[in-house]
Amino acid sequence: MSNTDQTTLAATQSGRPPFYRDATVVKWLAQVFTLVLVVFALFFLTTQALENLNRQGIEIRYDFLGIGLGSDLREGIDTDPDTAGRALWAGAVNTIRISLGGIVAATILGVLVGVGRLSRNWIVSRMCSVFIETIRNIPLLVQIVFIWALVATLPNVELDQGPVNGLLHLSNKGVSVPRLHIDDGFYQWLIFLGIGWLVGSLVKRRQDRRHDATGRDTYPVASFVAVLAVFGLVGWFAHPVFGWVGAIFDFIGDGFSALTPPVVQVVLSLAALAAAAWWIRRFLARRRTPAGLMKLTDDDRFRIIFAGVGALAVIAFVLVGWPGLSSWIINSGTDLLEVIADKFGDGRTGKPVDIKAPDVEQLGNFPNPGPAGLNLTQGGTAVFLGVVLYTASFIAEIVRGGILAVPKGQTEAALAVGLRRVTMLRRVILPQAFRVILPPLGNQYLNLTKNTSLAIAVGYSDFVQVGQIVYNQTGKTLEVVSLWMLFYLACSLTISVVVNFFNIRMKIVER
Amino acid sequence: MSVSDATTALTEELAARDDMIVCEGVNKWFGDFQALDGITAVIKEREVVVVLGPSGSGKSTWIRCINRLEAHQEGRIVVDGVELTNDVRNIERIRSEVGMVFQQFNLFPHLTVLDNITLAPIWVRKRPRDEAEELARALLERVGIPEQAEKYPGQLSGGQQQRVAIARALAMEPRIMLFDEPTSALDPEMISEVLDVMKELARSGMTMMVVTHEMGFAREVADRVIFMEDGQIVETGTPEHFFTNPSEERTKLFLSQIL
Amino acid sequence: MTVPMGDPAAAAVDPAEAWAAEPEPAQKPEEPSLSMGEWLGRNLFSSAVNSLLTVVFSLLVLLVVRGLLNFMFSEERTWRAVKTNMRFLFTHAYPQDQYARIWVCVGAIAVLSGLSIGLLARTGAGISVKKLSINLMGTGAVIAVGILLREPSAVVDGEGMALHRDLSAAAGDSFVDWLDANAFAVLGALLLANLALAVWFNFQGTYLRAATEPRIAHGVLVLASGGVLIVQQYATGEIVRESFADAMSDRAWWWLAVAVLAGAGAALWFGLGDARRRNTFVPAMYVFFVGAGVMVLSGWVYPWGHYAFLEGEFIAEPGSTVAMTTRLPWTVMWALLVGAFMLGRMLRAARAGPKLRVPLNLLWVLTPFVLYWAVLRDPDLDWDHVLSTDIPMAVFFAVFGGLVVWYLTHPRIGEAGRITAVVLVAVAVLNWVAAYFDWYAMLQKARISFLLLAVVALLAHHFAGDRSQRMKLVAAWVGTMAVLHWMVTLVNSPSTVETPTDALIGGFGITLIVAVFTLLLAFPMGVLLALARTSNLPIFRVLATGYIEVFRGVPLITLLFFFTLIFNLFLPQNMSLVDIAGATIGFALFSAAYLAENIRGGLQAVRRGQYEASDAVGLTTVQRTLFIVLPQALRVSIPPLVGQVIATFKETSLLAVVGIFDFLRIADKVISAQSEFLGVKREGLLFVSFIYWIFAYNMSKHSQRVEKRLGVGER
Repeated sequence: MSNTDQTTLAATQSGRPPFYRDATVVKWLAQVFTLVLVVFALFFLTTQALENLNRQGIEIRYDFLGIGLGSDLREGIDTDPDTAGRALWAGAVNTIRISLGGIVAATILGVLVGVGRLSRNWIVSRMCSVFIETIRNIPLLVQIVFIWALVATLPNVELDQGPVNGLLHLSNKGVSVPRLHIDDGFYQWLIFLGIGWLVGSLVKRRQDRRHDATGRDTYPVASFVAVLAVFGLVGWFAHPVFGWVGAIFDFIGDGFSALTPPVVQVVLSLAALAAAAWWIRRFLARRRTPAGLMKLTDDDRFRIIFAGVGALAVIAFVLVGWPGLSSWIINSGTDLLEVIADKFGDGRTGKPVDIKAPDVEQLGNFPNPGPAGLNLTQGGTAVFLGVVLYTASFIAEIVRGGILAVPKGQTEAALAVGLRRVTMLRRVILPQAFRVILPPLGNQYLNLTKNTSLAIAVGYSDFVQVGQIVYNQTGKTLEVVSLWMLFYLACSLTISVVVNFFNIRMKIVER
Repeated sequence: MSVSDATTALTEELAARDDMIVCEGVNKWFGDFQALDGITAVIKEREVVVVLGPSGSGKSTWIRCINRLEAHQEGRIVVDGVELTNDVRNIERIRSEVGMVFQQFNLFPHLTVLDNITLAPIWVRKRPRDEAEELARALLERVGIPEQAEKYPGQLSGGQQQRVAIARALAMEPRIMLFDEPTSALDPEMISEVLDVMKELARSGMTMMVVTHEMGFAREVADRVIFMEDGQIVETGTPEHFFTNPSEERTKLFLSQIL
Repeated sequence: MTVPMGDPAAAAVDPAEAWAAEPEPAQKPEEPSLSMGEWLGRNLFSSAVNSLLTVVFSLLVLLVVRGLLNFMFSEERTWRAVKTNMRFLFTHAYPQDQYARIWVCVGAIAVLSGLSIGLLARTGAGISVKKLSINLMGTGAVIAVGILLREPSAVVDGEGMALHRDLSAAAGDSFVDWLDANAFAVLGALLLANLALAVWFNFQGTYLRAATEPRIAHGVLVLASGGVLIVQQYATGEIVRESFADAMSDRAWWWLAVAVLAGAGAALWFGLGDARRRNTFVPAMYVFFVGAGVMVLSGWVYPWGHYAFLEGEFIAEPGSTVAMTTRLPWTVMWALLVGAFMLGRMLRAARAGPKLRVPLNLLWVLTPFVLYWAVLRDPDLDWDHVLSTDIPMAVFFAVFGGLVVWYLTHPRIGEAGRITAVVLVAVAVLNWVAAYFDWYAMLQKARISFLLLAVVALLAHHFAGDRSQRMKLVAAWVGTMAVLHWMVTLVNSPSTVETPTDALIGGFGITLIVAVFTLLLAFPMGVLLALARTSNLPIFRVLATGYIEVFRGVPLITLLFFFTLIFNLFLPQNMSLVDIAGATIGFALFSAAYLAENIRGGLQAVRRGQYEASDAVGLTTVQRTLFIVLPQALRVSIPPLVGQVIATFKETSLLAVVGIFDFLRIADKVISAQSEFLGVKREGLLFVSFIYWIFAYNMSKHSQRVEKRLGVGER
């Protein structure tokens, strides 16, 4: 080491160290090496699969979706689908239906049990905790199969007997309850409701403002509901006045069908480019400081590159990867618009909705629940009850945890400033509890949706079970599995988007 | 002898020693906030430097740059003849030469006091375990808590934890010790026990750089006081000069607020 | 006494909970001064609404318990289907003459558990004598109530009919009929009266301040509400039994159980005399040992269950029961467990705990592999091959790798070490590339060993140290090689134990095995994924995030289908996975994503100061992660990790869907297809639920205790 301060700096070599000791370079080398390994592994597996398929003379194609399916489904919007694609669609609708219904029911039951567990009544809280501890420690599949076996012991459906128990119909064929039937004028009635919603929101906002200004009770929510009810009531009779809406969709549909594939391709490519450019610009703008552009970190560069590469990948996919995409968009878009135009079309003067009690009809040699009621088959009942009970037991714990998570001081503080108990619950306790509850609740909804796939064990025609039927008949296992994954990923994404939306809203409420 | 004479004498005496830390035009930004603005300073061997300044003035950031807990963006930092660059080997070398003591102690809660101290000597200095433990016990003796070796940090008081932290840093046999507000998180009655250890350390000839608000410590121990504000070094001088006759307005303002 | 005996809510819990019950943390014993009346007033009848809730829920409990008991003990239940199929349920078609192997496995696990618990577990507060005695007596009472509550199966000229006759004689047939028809109306009326009284109490301030008479009336009403249910049951029993003796023979054992339990409880209660000694705590472990001992001993007294199935043909053997054939082994297992526990306690007293912790954990990790491939499978080794290829190769890698490790862990290895490591990585990668292009042949295990060596070489300099440190590392390498090569040789040798399916063992056995291997595979993956997801290196983060989100987004069942149906397509032609291996991989990949999220939570709980302090003392990133970050993160994430273990255990029931003969499938599909038990499903399913429940419930209770302890020790 040198002795004088002037030489110290000169003696140390500045500049870049050799690459294998440069922290940045080493980091990137490790990452790229890993990436190469992953890509190579995927590449290896894919080529193997393609080779194996080639050897067996199989191609990966999705045209089986248009081929006829030789078997019926047990339930759903279409029990005798023409094509495999239609069958899968019916299965998807079944999954979505049972998931949505399950989410609602599980939430209600879960909240009740969760609050019950906190009850000061010893028996109530014990019972709720026994319910939770029993249900959540037994595998869901076992429960579903067990419920299925229980339903099998219910009495048979008898034709002459008519609906058992009038409105609720319990038999070894499952459960039937009265159903809302969407009737002729429903969609035009929806327009009325939409306008009612808008007007109601305006009124609510005005009342809110008046409340803020004068401090008097102005009942904003009640007025909103009242306005909505009035519009709903008027619309119930007056809905045919919107008969002309269908024509608008007809017009748009005509315009859409006039598009040509290259136009769509160009539009999609430009959209991808524009999105990437917009994102990068915004990103850089955020990094820009009064002193000029900040130094970008590795992370930032990676993101920018990723955005660019992503856009290019989309363009490549649109132009080369799947040239048929654009014509598919045009065709299905036109179809969709046609359907909408029909729904809003002229001359639909019937009632918007109708409620019918379940009935019984002869199906082949056996009596079966008829089309009037909302029917769940034996398998459907088992899956529904299974996922609802199971998820409710988890939701109950989440709700309990959320309520307990609000510090006692909050209650005391709220009461100390003289809030009424109800106001305190609504404005102080619930928003805070909800903030804790919401994220895990979203996870439970996701789990519930995924768990409906256990339907396959009891033969309920959900997306997975229909998929199994399809690949048993067509041999297209790989394709079906890919559809499964896509479908459920889409469901997960939707649920997390919705939950996030509420999450953000709750945070605003909290402020 | 006037103050300036004393300063000159000190400067001459210091010039004869080795440079331990050399900073040259060091700049650092957090986002668009400039935390360090052209820091240039040389710290000599066996020198004790106290860095003062209002909070947010960049003093912590500066000493955290010296062992690369934060990376500076412009300028050069040379520690004990090794420049801090992206070179992994240099960073490793500097970190094992520079000991650091944190405001929040940052002891490893899942390890006993003894393991806290021996961890780095064993795995970084590659010493045999027995030797490292012997050293650790000697260091605990030195900081005055030999009986706490088998306890976990959570069972110790704040002052004891901070002394363990000092022992942990010393166990690497560093040539430089950095102290980042070592007494700020302590209850008042525990401050002196930590300061005593630091004073003893200073007397033993360790090169030290201390960020602190303890003016008494600065007066008594420091060879030099550096005053920072807004990421810049405002004034440098001996404690007598600094506390009795500061030359900069900003320093005077700071001292009037704090004393 | 503080807790009412035989409370209805506890009756809904399975009796097994009562004896296995550990002290419930949530339920602290009330102050001894609180009398029964006060307790009731405070907890059940504090207000009108509360009283109403109490009554409604009591009735609900009664109905549920009654329904459950009637279901379980109905004459229609064919519990014989479960009893006869015990062997099938637990091991499927594992050959009977090889059962000793299974007992060796159970024994090994018993010894290890006993040792670990004895050596490492805290004694803990355990369960108070008072609580124990109350639990025992309470269980007895619950069973007694159960016997009385269950449908009496109006026996011809037996007990039930007699009661029916007595009732009719006392009140007239018409009254009984009327009661039957209007049971719910009567209940409703009683409820309303109850409510009215409760409202009145409310006006009096509290229940306790009300006069005595209305309180008695209230009690009578509550009792009457329950009584109506019971009477209605007795009065309208429909199922007819052959004889009174038939009915009694079944019940006699239950009455005996009642007597034993209540007697033991009472003996504890009164034998210990004063309240202070009743409050002494017995370690929960000892209670468990005694309970298990009683269960095992009962096998020598009562012939639990039958078993059957010889050579695939169904032959029920009422003469030789499961209890009779397994009571000796179970007694041995119990003795092993207790013996190992005592040994562990002795070692603990000798302060050997810290030293033995690592070897014990190593043993736990090795055990599943050894038990599955060496004990259950009994591989038929080809000794020529073993001597000529396997052993020399193992020795070569042990020696060569050992030298490399020794060299690379030198404290001042510097650049030479880096170059060596890179060369080794290149060789390892080359081996795999060569395999792809068919350049040269090489045994798969040689490739794997090379790869392992390359990874070790890359990491070696982080662990350099003095002589003894380096010797330890070399020894670890040699040990790893020995085990690895031994395991690979075993896996490659055909098994001499012949089973009809490729799963070797079925039933509950396969459930446990799959769960264990899933977790063993998933845990390291989860740790790596969590580290990658929290790392500040973008590519790692994106890859990990993508993996986790995709695998959490799809249902497990689709993954299982993929790995059992399709995955073989993705493998080279000469390779294929059996269903059970594919399913395990599917489970592991799925669990890894969830474990990663749990561990990520723990990683985020590690304070930034910990990273800074590790950096400041000069630890490398690898050292920092292994010595500082992971230990703290894993400690924090123990509760969610146990939750995931339970989830994985429950998820293994999905094996049934992909056609593996697991616990559920045997109950659901196999038993109900036997000619003798055609369509008998619910009994088996209830039994399966019960076994799953016992495991999952105890794990979750244990995890809650650990969580509480960690929470207390939080610093």
